[in-house]
Amino acid sequence: MTSEDDTQLDIESNLRKYKAGVQIIFEGARADTGQTPKEIIWTKNKAKLYHYKPTVEKKYPVPILLVYALINRPYVLDLMPGNSLVEYLVNRGFDVFMLDWGIPGDEDSNLAFENYVLDYMPRAVKKVLRTAHAEEFTLLGYCMGGTMAAMYAALFPGKPLRNLILMTAPIDFTAENTGLYGLWTSEKYLNPDHMAEAFGNIPGDLVDTGNRLVKPVTNYVGSYVTMWDRILQGKPMDTWLAMNKWVNDGIPFPGATFRQWIREFYQQNKLVKGEIRLRGMRVDLSAINCAVLNIAGKKDHICTLPQAEATMNLISSVDKEFFVLDAGHVGLLTGSDAKKFLWPKIRSWLELHSK
Amino acid sequence: MAEESKAQGPVNPLDFWKQWSETSTKMWTNVLEGSKGTFVDPYGLYRPWLKSIELAQEQMKASTKGTINPTEFWKQWYEAATGAWAKAAEMGGDPLGLTAQWLEIMEENRAKIFSGGTVPADPFTFFKQWYDASSDTWAKIVGDIIGDEKFVEKASQFMESYTSYYMATRRANENYFRNLQLPTRSDLARVVKIIVALEEKVDRLDDALDDIEDGNSQVATKDVITELEGRLSRVEKKLDAISSVLEKLEIVEKLAKHTDGMEKKLDKVLEAFAKNEAKISSTATKVDVEATRKPTRKNARNPKANGSKEEVEAKQTV
Repeated sequence: MTSEDDTQLDIESNLRKYKAGVQIIFEGARADTGQTPKEIIWTKNKAKLYHYKPTVEKKYPVPILLVYALINRPYVLDLMPGNSLVEYLVNRGFDVFMLDWGIPGDEDSNLAFENYVLDYMPRAVKKVLRTAHAEEFTLLGYCMGGTMAAMYAALFPGKPLRNLILMTAPIDFTAENTGLYGLWTSEKYLNPDHMAEAFGNIPGDLVDTGNRLVKPVTNYVGSYVTMWDRILQGKPMDTWLAMNKWVNDGIPFPGATFRQWIREFYQQNKLVKGEIRLRGMRVDLSAINCAVLNIAGKKDHICTLPQAEATMNLISSVDKEFFVLDAGHVGLLTGSDAKKFLWPKIRSWLELHSK
Repeated sequence: MAEESKAQGPVNPLDFWKQWSETSTKMWTNVLEGSKGTFVDPYGLYRPWLKSIELAQEQMKASTKGTINPTEFWKQWYEAATGAWAKAAEMGGDPLGLTAQWLEIMEENRAKIFSGGTVPADPFTFFKQWYDASSDTWAKIVGDIIGDEKFVEKASQFMESYTSYYMATRRANENYFRNLQLPTRSDLARVVKIIVALEEKVDRLDDALDDIEDGNSQVATKDVITELEGRLSRVEKKLDAISSVLEKLEIVEKLAKHTDGMEKKLDKVLEAFAKNEAKISSTATKVDVEATRKPTRKNARNPKANGSKEEVEAKQTV
């Protein structure tokens, strides 16, 4: 083979790579996500409750219920084989369930936290206990799902809730702690009622844009620089594609919940003051007395460190731990650092608290 | 044939990138030019970039050497780019002061990249180096801008306008379809709400069944039902007894009413007697007076035997 042939092959290979990159940009990332085998054991409206099929013998009698935020898809917890918290836990003998809120339609614009925390979650818990033949369970909430899990734990303390794991769960919404979000969502600049009235459900793209604008250069340019770099260097693209798919897969935020989230959490910081009321029931975080593992990321700009740390002083639990990782909001959950630090931490904590 | 073999032959990498750059630049320029005048230009920042590439190409073509050193090429690009941006800023196209800061970064990066020795011919590698060198600074600048109250105020105003526009459009569309007798999204949502409410009821039934299965609610056995039947019939008998007592009570009540009626009548009679007595006594006084003056034969014989005329009438009434 001559050097001219080599050059020709190089060019053809580069063209193929450019084509692949351009295709991703125009058509969006495609990846098989959420592949850990599971079955749907309960549905309510759009919500689904998954039970992950055990791959090894069940070692721990306390099942785990994962609850994710309302504004993104929960498959980030089961991103892809080899890069999935769900798969990791299932393979280590835990009985894992996940509550997927589904994609809200126009008819769900009046769904509020009351519906999710008082109707959906208790029913899902009943199904989990019934399916797992268990009397207690561990509740793991991520991001806004963590805030919801904390509210549930405050309203339903004691049995059957045995353990609570909060991952990057914003609790304290003091303006100084919320960074750019605090400024953007201030009463002066954002009227959630007007938005909810106009849109019904707040479009996923709008929510995504808001989240991305917190770090615009990284999210709008850096991410694609990484893509081209990986493509041109012939590095595996699976993880990048799965993450990019997830990042662009935002779902609408139910209007009534959006109003509460902005008004009562961001603008009035009612949760830490014990002023949140769901159907007249006061959410008092000091009622939480179960074992708590609270996880936060130093580089998290969506749920900042102080927002999550505040939980530690508000709950009554004696057995509580605050675990900080040198990671961002999503990087904390997936990728090589998650495998090295986060997942083993969750496993070891659960092993101690699930017997 | 000669032309064909030429087309399939090996390509000089630098020529290839030149062609690629030229084609893509033309394509984007056409896209952007095509939209010019119709909308507000959202690509303002990119125009100088594209212009700079065109300028660099022209300079490359004008080069008498034939082949170009990559370092020289990128230097020319930098100069062209910064020149175009500076010109844009001078013409007042930089309200947020972005271009001025951008130019500073460009200068900084030029120094960083060209001080490193070899410069890649591959545009991507060059861009990656450029991004790595500038992203932190650029992120900080953008962060400062979007964290500034002026920016947030403008963004908020834009959002408010957009929201109002969206709401007005939505309402207009709803009305339009309603006038056409066509179902709208709201209509569908209403139907789905009914289905969801129905699902809620099924959920409750499901819950109740689960409770029964889990033993939280006790199931009624045949024995329990038979016992309940026995208790019910006993309760029924007691109720019958109570109702018969009540019936008797009704008769007593009727008698009591009769007695009350009789009592009232007697009261009236007594009243009448009392009145009569009063009259009689007054009449008797008159008669006595007259009698003392002129006693009749009848009165003289039995003065209290027959009573007065009123007394007789009263007796007849009773």
